[in-house]
Amino acid sequence: MVWRFIAKRVAIALLQLIGISLVVFFLIRGLDADPVARIVGLNATEEAVKQATESLGLHEHQLQQLGNYLGIFSSSGKPGIVQGTLGESWVTGSSILEEVTRFLPITLELITYALIIAFLLAMPLGMSSGTRPGGAADRFTFVWGLFAGSQPEFWWGLMFVFVFFFVFQQAGWPSAPAPLGRLNPFLTAPESITGFIMIDSLLRGRFDVWIDAGKHLMLPVFTLVFVVSGPIVKMVRQNMLRVLRSDYILYARSAGLPRQKVARYALRAALAPAMTLTAIIYGFLLGGAVPVELIYSLGGIGEYSIRSILNLDFPAIQGTVLVIAMVSLVIYLAIDILHAFLDPRIAF
Amino acid sequence: MVAETNESMVAGSSSENILEVRDLSVRFPIVEGPDVFAVRDFNLAVKPGEFVGLMGEPGCGKSTAAMSFLGLVRPPGVIETGQINFAGDDILKMDEETVRQMRGRDIGMIVQNPRYSLHPMMRVGDQIANVYRAHNDVGKREAWEHAVSMLRMVGINDPERRVKAYAHELSSGMAQRVLIAIALSSQPKLLIADEPTSGLDVTIQAQFLDQMWDSCRQASSAVVLVTQDLGIVANYCDRVVIMHEGTIVEDADVYTFFESPQHEYSRRILQLQREAQEAGDAVLGKIDRTAPPILEVKDMSKLFPIRGSESKVHAVEHADFELRPGECLGLVGESGSGKTTIGRCVLRLVEPTQGEIVFQERNIAEIRPNEFRKFRGDLQIVFQDPLDSLNPRWTVHQVLSEPLKLHTNLSPEEKEQRISELLNLVGLEPSMRFALPREMSAGRQQRASIARAIASNPDFIVLDEPTSALTPETTAEIIQLLMDLSAKLGIAYLFISHDLTTVKYICHRVVVLYLGQIVEVGTKDQVFNQPRHPYSRALLSSHLFPDTANRRVDREVRETLEGEIPSPITENLPKGCYLYGRCPSQVDKCRDLPQELTKLDDGRSVRCWRVAEGDLPDEPAAH
Ligand SMILES: Nc1ncnc2c1ncn2[C@@H]1O[C@H](COP(=O)(O)OP(=O)(O)OP(=O)(O)O)[C@@H](O)[C@H]1O
Ligand code: SF4
Ligand SMILES: [Mg+2]
Repeated sequence: MVWRFIAKRVAIALLQLIGISLVVFFLIRGLDADPVARIVGLNATEEAVKQATESLGLHEHQLQQLGNYLGIFSSSGKPGIVQGTLGESWVTGSSILEEVTRFLPITLELITYALIIAFLLAMPLGMSSGTRPGGAADRFTFVWGLFAGSQPEFWWGLMFVFVFFFVFQQAGWPSAPAPLGRLNPFLTAPESITGFIMIDSLLRGRFDVWIDAGKHLMLPVFTLVFVVSGPIVKMVRQNMLRVLRSDYILYARSAGLPRQKVARYALRAALAPAMTLTAIIYGFLLGGAVPVELIYSLGGIGEYSIRSILNLDFPAIQGTVLVIAMVSLVIYLAIDILHAFLDPRIAF
Repeated sequence: MVAETNESMVAGSSSENILEVRDLSVRFPIVEGPDVFAVRDFNLAVKPGEFVGLMGEPGCGKSTAAMSFLGLVRPPGVIETGQINFAGDDILKMDEETVRQMRGRDIGMIVQNPRYSLHPMMRVGDQIANVYRAHNDVGKREAWEHAVSMLRMVGINDPERRVKAYAHELSSGMAQRVLIAIALSSQPKLLIADEPTSGLDVTIQAQFLDQMWDSCRQASSAVVLVTQDLGIVANYCDRVVIMHEGTIVEDADVYTFFESPQHEYSRRILQLQREAQEAGDAVLGKIDRTAPPILEVKDMSKLFPIRGSESKVHAVEHADFELRPGECLGLVGESGSGKTTIGRCVLRLVEPTQGEIVFQERNIAEIRPNEFRKFRGDLQIVFQDPLDSLNPRWTVHQVLSEPLKLHTNLSPEEKEQRISELLNLVGLEPSMRFALPREMSAGRQQRASIARAIASNPDFIVLDEPTSALTPETTAEIIQLLMDLSAKLGIAYLFISHDLTTVKYICHRVVVLYLGQIVEVGTKDQVFNQPRHPYSRALLSSHLFPDTANRRVDREVRETLEGEIPSPITENLPKGCYLYGRCPSQVDKCRDLPQELTKLDDGRSVRCWRVAEGDLPDEPAAH
């Protein structure tokens, strides 16, 4: 049953991916923008432009370009998606698959840590605000939500840099490192295994890197946690209020179940929707963590995609969109399976 | 006088009462607007072993009061003032752990909605085990074993498998039996049951209430039974307490209550019920049996295919009956017995699989669709839930204009005239003419849909559970209205209902259905006073009429059926008589012998060979 459900979902996801790829492919080609001029410069000779156009394959009919991209009926003799490559960047000339696998884990690491922490924080906070509306926890989350929602995340990012790096350093306190990347430039990163620097450094026994990377990740993760926890807390709180009014909690109490048992019943029911929301935010942050990536110069996939768009680097744009879509589809699938596992009423 | 009764009881020695509630008020804070006091200055005393019925109109605070006897309120409510003395001690003053231990051990609770009272994401067995472990010092394994034996005890087959089920996989009947088993197993001194049988079929309701009554009498537990059903009160309770706007307004023993109700609300509901009955007897019995039937249903069956399966849902099998002009024919049976399907086939809303339906001497299957549209004016239906069947954006005026436009050629003035006439007929005030459905009470909505049905002057209306979404009070009014209309306009009704009380008032003849088959057809007197088929007998005997003369708990034999109704899919249906397995009169021969509907000498038809051959005694029904 579960396997059939997964197979069906994967099939649907494949269709979605194909759809998204096609839309992006034709959309960027319909833009009133000239990637060739961007590459050869505005003063290039006609000859140079023609040569560049041909080397990029842009002289072909759009359908033939699509064929080349997909690797079906290719006229260029180069492999395409079907052969397992995403092509080469027009700007750097290197393989896009390689570039994406270098940049994607940076973003994944950032938002994974941020959302795990946000979730672990939001559950107890939301539950106690829901259990005692108007209590200390509730007032705390209210004020926090008010603050966090009042300014965009880049503002908070800059603010934290200003306070925890600049002010702290001025004051001579132990401060956060400069927002200039994932690692002190004097350290060399260990060779990639998972792409998550905190995990790779542990696996390779590089504890100096582990500590330094942790310090560098601290503020960006904190910024994201600060901004995204609000909605999760609010959702858990709402759920908690609803669950505590439900017939089954009243019944559990009327049957004389101990307090912790009743709390566990409530947690059980409030968990699934909070998890779903977290996953949705995760999917959103895949491309939406750009401000934080930029402020802390982390160089994640968001930053990479912005750069590709500004450069009109068509293969890179197509590649990132495809990969980001794929990751979010995998996450939604995983969350649906987990949800069904938690809630027996959901039938596959 | 009411207040005095209360005073004297409360003033009596407190150790004599198992429960004593004094001056209880429960407040619900409302974000916008003033707070709601769902319970106000509430006083009640219950003696050990006493069965108290707590009645009142919807929203009067019954459930809130019942819950507060355990010291609980649904958030965000709070118990504002008062005492709740259980066996002499105020539970509002006890520490939390002491009260917790009393809940579920000394005070049991059964709630209205059994399936929603179980956690939707946890196995039933774990939940039973948790309750058991809350009051007994046992390990996980032992508690699980206990859960299995509990399910076995309440007669759930295959308990080892069922114990792993989730709430939504149980039927309400099963879930309710589990809950009552949990509640009764600790032999509480006080049991609080909040509408424990609403939504259950009558035979299941009787099984359930009998079990509760027996166990509680044995353990001399006191019971507070919250209900809106006069029948339950009349048959099971020793005392009746009426609540109105959060407080108790009447407190009397059950016989006194039914003889001389005091409060306006009590008088109104009892009065309406009596009036409906008397009017019914006066109107009924004027049917010309020699007139040609207006509707004949001949050997009609309807099987619904099940997707991805060979088997079918046998909704109706070989139905045969007829209806004379002006007659009201009742169609009764429990859920899944095929009542609604018959109604829909008659109106051609679904096509029967087999058989003929002859309306005004024409086979309706042979009428072409565009001709049938004109026919529709003569064939009308009123549904259970008026809100569902009225367009929410149409005013009463628009609702009534439509059938006039479709089925009549009235001029605009004549139409307005006719609408006024219709409003008057169904007892809607002229001010309701431009009201929207949601601006009207449920009773008025139902009146509007009745007005729509009679707008085109039909000769025949299907009434599909027209009163089951209504309160007992409104039900009585609507029944009254339907009878008036039938008397005035000579309309024939096919009256579908699972509520035997209303059928008894309004119908000339009654068809009893079980699992898609007609098991008995006869006049109202035959079926109600002398049912012959074992199923009709059990159904009638399970039904709780609001009458204290022959209470179910006083009967020596309480006829009932074992188990639950199987769902009518091919592989579930018994090979011989469909009642085999549950029938108290069954013999081996019934298992393999399919039953035919057989006409008896007194004019009725019965589907049971033992009755047809005179094997079964023909004594009057127990009630
Ligand atoms: N959570 C709540 N918030 C606000 N008001 C409430 C709440 N729960 C109940 N009430 C109000 O309290 C009153 C009593 O409700 P309660 O459910 O006890 O009535 P009831 O007699 O059991 O009704 P029913 O017959 O529909 O079961 C109603 O006016 C209702 O609107
Ligand atoms: S045929 Fe047998 S089983 Fe069926 S109703 Fe008659 S006695 Fe009962
Ligand atoms: Mg209620």
